[in-house]
Amino acid sequence: MQIIENDKIKEKVYIKKLQNGLTIMVIPKKGSQKKYIIWGVNYGSVDNHFMVNDEEFKVPDGIAHYLEHKMFEQRNGKNSLDVLTSLGVDANAYTTNNLTAYLFESTDNFYEALDEFMDYVQNPYYTDENVEKERGIIEQEIMMYDDYPEWAMYMNAMRLMYHNNPINIDIAGTKESIAKIDKENLYRVYNNFYVPENMAIVFCGDIDEKEIFEELEKRITMKSNSNDVKRIIADEPEEIVEKRKEINMDISMPIFTIAYKDKKYDDKDMVKRDLAVEIIMYIIIGKSSSLYRRLYEEGLIYSDFGFDYEFARNYSHVYIQGQSYEVEKVINEIKNEFDYFINQGISDKDFSRIKRKLYGDFVRAFNDVANIGNNFINKYFKGSNLFDYIEEFEALNKDYVEEVLKEVFKEEKKVVSIVNPIQNEEEK
Amino acid sequence: MKENNNIEIKEGIKLHLIKTDLFKTNLACVLITVPLKKEDVTCNALIPFLLRRGTENLKTQYEISETLENLYGSIFDCGVDKSGDNQVIKFYMDGINDKFLLSEEKLLNQDLSLLFELVFNPLLENGLFKSDFLEMEKNNLENVIKGKIDDKDSYAFNDCLEKMYNNEGFGLYKYGYLEDLNKITLEKITEAYFRLINNAKIDIFVSGDFDFKEVEDFIKNNENISKLQARKPDYIINNPLKENKNKTEKINEYKEKMNVTQGKLILGLNTLYTKENYKYVGLMYNAILGESANSKLFQNVREKAGLCYTAKSNFIKQKRNIFIKCGIEIPNYEKAVDLIKVQIDEMKDGQFTDEDVENAKTYIISGIKDIETEQDSEIVYYYGQEMSGTQEDLLEYIDKINKVGKEDIIEFAKNVEINTIYFLESKNS
Repeated sequence: MQIIENDKIKEKVYIKKLQNGLTIMVIPKKGSQKKYIIWGVNYGSVDNHFMVNDEEFKVPDGIAHYLEHKMFEQRNGKNSLDVLTSLGVDANAYTTNNLTAYLFESTDNFYEALDEFMDYVQNPYYTDENVEKERGIIEQEIMMYDDYPEWAMYMNAMRLMYHNNPINIDIAGTKESIAKIDKENLYRVYNNFYVPENMAIVFCGDIDEKEIFEELEKRITMKSNSNDVKRIIADEPEEIVEKRKEINMDISMPIFTIAYKDKKYDDKDMVKRDLAVEIIMYIIIGKSSSLYRRLYEEGLIYSDFGFDYEFARNYSHVYIQGQSYEVEKVINEIKNEFDYFINQGISDKDFSRIKRKLYGDFVRAFNDVANIGNNFINKYFKGSNLFDYIEEFEALNKDYVEEVLKEVFKEEKKVVSIVNPIQNEEEK
Repeated sequence: MKENNNIEIKEGIKLHLIKTDLFKTNLACVLITVPLKKEDVTCNALIPFLLRRGTENLKTQYEISETLENLYGSIFDCGVDKSGDNQVIKFYMDGINDKFLLSEEKLLNQDLSLLFELVFNPLLENGLFKSDFLEMEKNNLENVIKGKIDDKDSYAFNDCLEKMYNNEGFGLYKYGYLEDLNKITLEKITEAYFRLINNAKIDIFVSGDFDFKEVEDFIKNNENISKLQARKPDYIINNPLKENKNKTEKINEYKEKMNVTQGKLILGLNTLYTKENYKYVGLMYNAILGESANSKLFQNVREKAGLCYTAKSNFIKQKRNIFIKCGIEIPNYEKAVDLIKVQIDEMKDGQFTDEDVENAKTYIISGIKDIETEQDSEIVYYYGQEMSGTQEDLLEYIDKINKVGKEDIIEFAKNVEINTIYFLESKNS
C-alpha cells in the first residue's frame, strides 16, 4: 500500500493494487456525511479499434457510451439505477473520450448501495431486446447535443486538428453509427476492457481506510483477463488538418474556439506541462491580464475566456473559448498578445501571483467528495494524481513555463472554430 | 458540528452565521431582496454588473481581479435570482479557510472586507456611477438578455413561464427587458442603487469554520456595514397558500419555432391543494410523478416508450407550480403529451404503489441530508426559511416528509391541473 499526503492541505490518499490488477484509491474525509465512490474504466469513445489475441476489431462509434447506458440492466429484470435510487443514493455514470465511469454518492445506505453498485458493474446483461430499447433514448441524447452550440464548435475544432485520432468523433456517436451496435459487439468491448487491470475505484468519505479496503475487496469477483488486448492507435501527423471552420446556429452572439495542437502525449512530462499551460493562460488571457482589460474596455468581449489543456493517450491540445461580435479582431489581439509574451517573457510578479491563486485552487479541489473522486479517477489513467500536481507545482519555475509558451502556441498548429448567429430576415 | 446564529445588525439587516468544519473554504454572501416589478427588474439586474467594475479603493476590474488572485484565488461572483415574487441580488465571496494557508494570515477578514467594499462602496464620480461603466454594462446586459435564446432548454422554460404569468411577478425574466434597459440613465441607476442599499432587505451569510464572536464583531465594525441605516424593508414573504390560483378553464397551448433539431416540450401545472402540509405533500407528489429515476415520467416516457432522454418534473413550492420538461423528436409531440397526461391522470387515480411512496421519501430525505454537505445549498436553505418567515430545521423537515401518506398524495394529485403546454419546435416543421 502506498500513502501520499500533504501537510499544508491536510489530506492523504491510500493506493493499493490488488492481485487481479485492480487499483483502489481511498481519500478519507473525516466528518463528511457524504460518501462518494467512482469506478473508472480506461475505455472511452476513442477506443474503437483494437486487437484481441490476433484478431482485429473495429467497433461502431459511440459504443463506449452505449455500453455505459446498458450496464444498469440486470438479469433479474431490474434496473440498477432504479434500485440505487430507491436506496436514496444519487447514482450516475458518464463517458468521455478516454474514460467510462460509474458512481454513486450517498448520505445513508452506503453498504446496501455498494452491494448493488459492485454487482452491476461486474455483471453485464445485454439482450437483443434491451439493447434495441435504448436506441431511441440515445438518439434523443445525440439530438439534444446537436442543439448545443458549444458542443458543435468543440467537435469542429477537434476535426480541424486531428486527421485520424478518434477524438474527432462524437462521444455518443451518430444515429447511423449507433444503429450498428448490438449485444455481440457490446460484450466484446465489455469482456476485453472491463477487466481489473484496466480499471480503478476511488472512494472518498468518512470510513476508516482499513474497513473500506476490506469491504471493497470482498465484493470483487472479476478475474484478470486471459486475452491479449491491444489498442490500435491511428497514426496522427503533427500537422493540423485545416485552419478554420465556421457554421451558423440560432444564437445571439458569435462564439469561437482557438485551439493549438500540441505534441503527442508523453506521460512523464504532462503534469508539469499541464500546470505551465494553466499559468500561461491566467497570465496572458485571464481576468487580471492586460489583454482582458483592453478587450473588455473596447467592448470587444463581455465575459472572460474559457480555456483548458486536454490530453490523454495520443492527443494533447490547448483550447480557448470566447464570445464576441468581432471575432476576427479578438483572435488577432490574442495572437499579438501571445507573440508579445513569447518575446518578452513572463514577469516575476505575475508568476508569483498566479502561483498563489493556484495553491488556493488546489486546496479548494479537496472541498467536496465528488470532486475529489472525479479528479483522482480522471488523472489516474493518465498516470498521475492531485498530489503529484501539488508536488510539481511547488517545484515549477518560470523558465520552464516560458519554454512551454514557446513550444505550444505556434501559428501553424492553431485552428479556429466559429459559430455565427443565423441572420434573421426581420432584422434586415 | 453544527451551530447557526441569526443576528439582527440593524432593523432590516440580518447576519446569519453557519458554523461547519466540513469544508476547506469559507463562503460569505450578501443577498438583497426586493419585490419583482416589471419597472424595476432590469435596473436592479444591471446593478451587480456595475458594482463589479470598480470600488472607491479598487478602481478597475483589473485591480479587483489581481487582489482576488493574491487572496489565494478567492472567488467573487454576483448575479440576480428570483425567490417567489421577489428579486434577489446576490454577491458571493468564496475563499479558503485560514487553516490551510501557506503562512499565517486572516484571509476571511480580507475576503469579507473586499465583499462589503464591492457591494457598499462603489466607485462614484460626483455622486453618480461612472458613465463609461454604465454604457459598457448596458451593452453587457443587453447581450445577456439577447443570449436567452442560446440555451434552448432554458429558453423554452423561461418563455413558457413568461406566457403563463403574463410577464408579471414570478413570470418576469430575472435579467429584465431590452425596452427598459434603453431607458436607464446614470441618475436613474444611481438612485436605484441607493434605494436598494438604504431601504431593501439585506441578509449576510457566512458559512465555514471560524469563531462566531470574532466574525460577528468584525462584520459589525466594518465601516461599510456600520454606515448602513436601519430600514423597514418591503419584500414579499413567501407563503404559497396565500398565492391565489384560479381553476384553469382551458389549457393554454403555445407552439414556438426556432432552429432546433430536437423539440423542447414544457408543461406548466398548477396545484390547488391548500392544506398546511402542502409543501411536503407537493414534494412527494413531484418525486413520484417525475423527479427521480424511479418516477413515472422517467420510467414510462423515457424507459418504456423511449421517447426522450430527459423527462423530469420540478416543483416550485413558492408558486405552487410543477413544470415538466422533456426533449423529444418533433413528430412525437402528440404522443409525448398524451403519455404525460396519462401519468398525471394515473396519479389522480392513485395508481402508484406503497413502494413508490417509500422510494419518494427516501429520495427526498436523502436530498434534505445533502443540504448540509454543500455550503451554498445550506445558505439557500436558510435564506428560504428567512423568506418564508419560518425556522424549520432539517430534522423537522425530514419528520414532516415522513408523515405524508398515500392518501395525502392522491388528494394533492386530484388538485393538479395542466395550465400550459408549450412546445419549441423546428422552423421547418
